Amino acid sequence: MGGFWSHVVEPGFFQSQTVQVALLVGGVVAAVSGVVGVLTVLRGQSFAGHALGDISATGGSGAFLLSINPLFGFLGMGLAAAGCMEAIGVRRVRGRDVATGIVLGAALGVAALFLYFDTTFHSTSGAAITVLFGSLFVVSTSTVPAIVACAAGAFAVVLLLYRPLLLSSIGEDVAAARGVPVRVIGALFILTMAITVALSAITIGAILSTALLIGPAATALRMTRRPVTAMVAAVAIGVAATWVGCLLAYDSFYWPPVQHGWPVSFCIVAVIFVSYLVVDSARWHRLRRANVPAGSQDPAAAAARPLHESSTHDAEVLGSPRTD
Amino acid sequence: MGKRRVPRPWTAAVAATSAAAVLGAFAAFGAFGALASSAGAASSGKSGTIVAVGAENEYADVVSQIGGQYVRATAIMSNPNTDPHTFESSASVSRVVSAAQLVVQNGVGYDTFMTKIESASPSSSRKVIDVQHLLGLPDSTPNPHLWYKPTTMPAVAKAVARDLTAFQPDHAAYFQQNLQIFDASLAPYYQEMAGIKATFPDAAVATTEPVADYMLQASGIDNMTPWALQADIMNTTDPSPQDVSIQDALFTSKKVKVFVYNQQVTSSVTKAFYKLAQHEGIPVVGVYETMPTPGYDYQSWMLAEADAVYNALASGKSSPKL
Repeated sequence: MGGFWSHVVEPGFFQSQTVQVALLVGGVVAAVSGVVGVLTVLRGQSFAGHALGDISATGGSGAFLLSINPLFGFLGMGLAAAGCMEAIGVRRVRGRDVATGIVLGAALGVAALFLYFDTTFHSTSGAAITVLFGSLFVVSTSTVPAIVACAAGAFAVVLLLYRPLLLSSIGEDVAAARGVPVRVIGALFILTMAITVALSAITIGAILSTALLIGPAATALRMTRRPVTAMVAAVAIGVAATWVGCLLAYDSFYWPPVQHGWPVSFCIVAVIFVSYLVVDSARWHRLRRANVPAGSQDPAAAAARPLHESSTHDAEVLGSPRTD
Repeated sequence: MGKRRVPRPWTAAVAATSAAAVLGAFAAFGAFGALASSAGAASSGKSGTIVAVGAENEYADVVSQIGGQYVRATAIMSNPNTDPHTFESSASVSRVVSAAQLVVQNGVGYDTFMTKIESASPSSSRKVIDVQHLLGLPDSTPNPHLWYKPTTMPAVAKAVARDLTAFQPDHAAYFQQNLQIFDASLAPYYQEMAGIKATFPDAAVATTEPVADYMLQASGIDNMTPWALQADIMNTTDPSPQDVSIQDALFTSKKVKVFVYNQQVTSSVTKAFYKLAQHEGIPVVGVYETMPTPGYDYQSWMLAEADAVYNALASGKSSPKL
């Protein structure tokens, strides 16, 4: 028993300060990503979430240039981009992807420039890897309070605006008819999404941040259509995946081929992806046995047309880190 | 879904403003870049002046010490605030390198871009001193910072004198004399290392990155930092929590007397170690990848670093910067 566990949890895991910070930060970020992620998927804004992550890379790389904490770079750029996308018209379904894509492309170009300056004029090493792919094991302890504060802020927005957010997610016209200020709610949500993505970028990198935002949420929405239940499930899946990812990265110290550890971001994303595949195939088998076409058994099926579109997109987004 | 439209003029204004900002930024950086390159470019030499390039400024310095008035040596990497491991070459670098008659480069994967530029602009008259090959080291050499090895620079200086003599046989005696002066000037540095070895045998230190490891070895110092951690920091890959714990314990249990800190390869990981070492009262000695300028030549730089290590061991004096 003891021998078995010492192989599952290699010695020193819980004593390592690096691991403690990683578990704390990873847990907090995965929790807030789960909650915001479910709303993101329900609102069909997965691509915007992904774009915000990539765009925040510009802020992250700029922060290295200015020698400020990368979290504030991610945050500042993410919030600015969210405001920009909102202003350009990210609310319109038609042309929304184009507006997002244009801003995304320009921002990534600037990120490339900043990273070039980082390596040419600055002693900060590995800015590119850290910004794009992140590492929970290099988060400095001094960042922890800011991360927790941002996460609490994002939670508070979702908690306060839960009803109108959900209503406007299902149908903007219905929500508007009921007196919900759809535009303000949408703007507040995209800003919350920017904060969440910035946190996620610190945790597993800007490029992979979308995996933490969308992955657990999409998995949870495969299991249930009740938003609150889905949020709880997404939080559980996200936190579990992050912690298991940390454990795998820790244990990989003893694995071939390099004998000094696999990247923690890879481990987390791999766990998220596998859990999505498992849940999705389980659902598929269940539906096939019941001989019901996918989707039609859901109580929320009437409102779910955008949900399914977004779900297929999510699978693509999730798959991309593996092929990169 | 959303039926309201954003008025067109507004969109146009946003687009115009951001385009202007981006263009402005390019213009500003462009001016900066032009200044930097005009300062750094090698003029293609009057007759009688050999145009030389050192991939790192310590090699360029040795070339100009040996070549004196007959050489114009330019360095590619000389900014003490950048990490040479992540250096990105550019068109202006290609121009400087391809125009050079004598090139000194480190090898061991530290400045691979030099080899690429040389093979892209072949020249039968160009002489290339690859320090790795000069010392007969294999490609698998784990620590590329060869200029910290006490035997390296005398060998490089000798090869430089030989190649310069091939270009200008008339000045053979002059180059030979400079070579002797250079070799003699290394004596204080060697004495300092011998002093460390004799006074503090097997002194234990921690490092972030292997930059000064050859010097530490030659001084009989025991570097307690796991090699995997040094390699991770050098290669900017994720450090293992296991290695970080070992390093932390070196400081908290006061197992090391000095923390040798590479000022040119820094990250949140190295900064955390730095804080911890300071907190535990362990003196920090800053070391560099390239020669800090102005104010130093190769010999005085190496001597200053060996001095700093000696003082840290002797009196606990920190010298995080040279």
